Amino acid sequence: MASQILPLELIDRCIGSRIWVIMKNDREFSGTLLGFDDFVNMVLEDVTEFEITAEGTKRTTLNQTLLNGNNICMLVPGSNGPED
Amino acid sequence: MDESTPPPPESGPPPPPPVAPPTVSGSPTDFLKGVVGKRVVVRLTSGVDYRGVLSCLDGYMNIALEQTEEHVNGRVTNRYGDAFIRGNNVLYISAAEAI
Amino acid sequence: MDPAAPGIQEPFDLIRLSLSERVFVKLRGDRELTGVLHAYDGHMNLILSEVEETILIVEGPDSGKANGTVNVAKRKMEMLFVRGDGVILVAPPSRT
Repeated sequence: MASQILPLELIDRCIGSRIWVIMKNDREFSGTLLGFDDFVNMVLEDVTEFEITAEGTKRTTLNQTLLNGNNICMLVPGSNGPED
Repeated sequence: MDESTPPPPESGPPPPPPVAPPTVSGSPTDFLKGVVGKRVVVRLTSGVDYRGVLSCLDGYMNIALEQTEEHVNGRVTNRYGDAFIRGNNVLYISAAEAI
Repeated sequence: MDPAAPGIQEPFDLIRLSLSERVFVKLRGDRELTGVLHAYDGHMNLILSEVEETILIVEGPDSGKANGTVNVAKRKMEMLFVRGDGVILVAPPSRT
């Protein structure tokens, strides 16, 4: 167990890179990760929000954004989102 | 007003150059320092948007907004001079102007 | 870095400045209240008096009525405790 890496250390290594954030509900975000805190609240830049509905996916582009960590389910490092 | 930032002293040694401007550093705290007083979009988990000027917030993401417009499905549904938003409803806070 | 609102350092200041005033409260479940704010705490538990509650009921496609029809139900309460976890938004009376 010498080279254990903590989950948040992996995310720390993603700072400055693109990241794909999948929420607990039908909502996803992709953006450049600028930072995060212990609650995994995340600051993203050049963000696209994806709202996935039965009719299709609605995209919204956003400037610098603080995403509440409360509803985050999964993070995919290096990915540009669901259409990557 | 006594809560405003005091003016810098006229003399004395120049302050050390900042390592990084606060708006460039990326932590949530730094982001929030950068957006106070700016126009923001607050989206709730329900999908309702509040657009206004960010007065202040706290560690729970409770938010005070000014000149607030409530947007539902792209239409303005309410306007408030001030609004308190309970933080647990907040999905994100996004800068609506350059910070 | 000087927000336009005078004397507001944290969000709860907005609520503190609204004590004894009529406030608008938006709650989960499409409920809206107006009432006079008597007390609040850190959970946003509220005590309101002279309350009018508005419940918005939007008809769905299977209701038999025109889709999107909004029914509004109103009722009045003299004195009300609101549990904080249901609160979405509190808007004090306009300062202007």
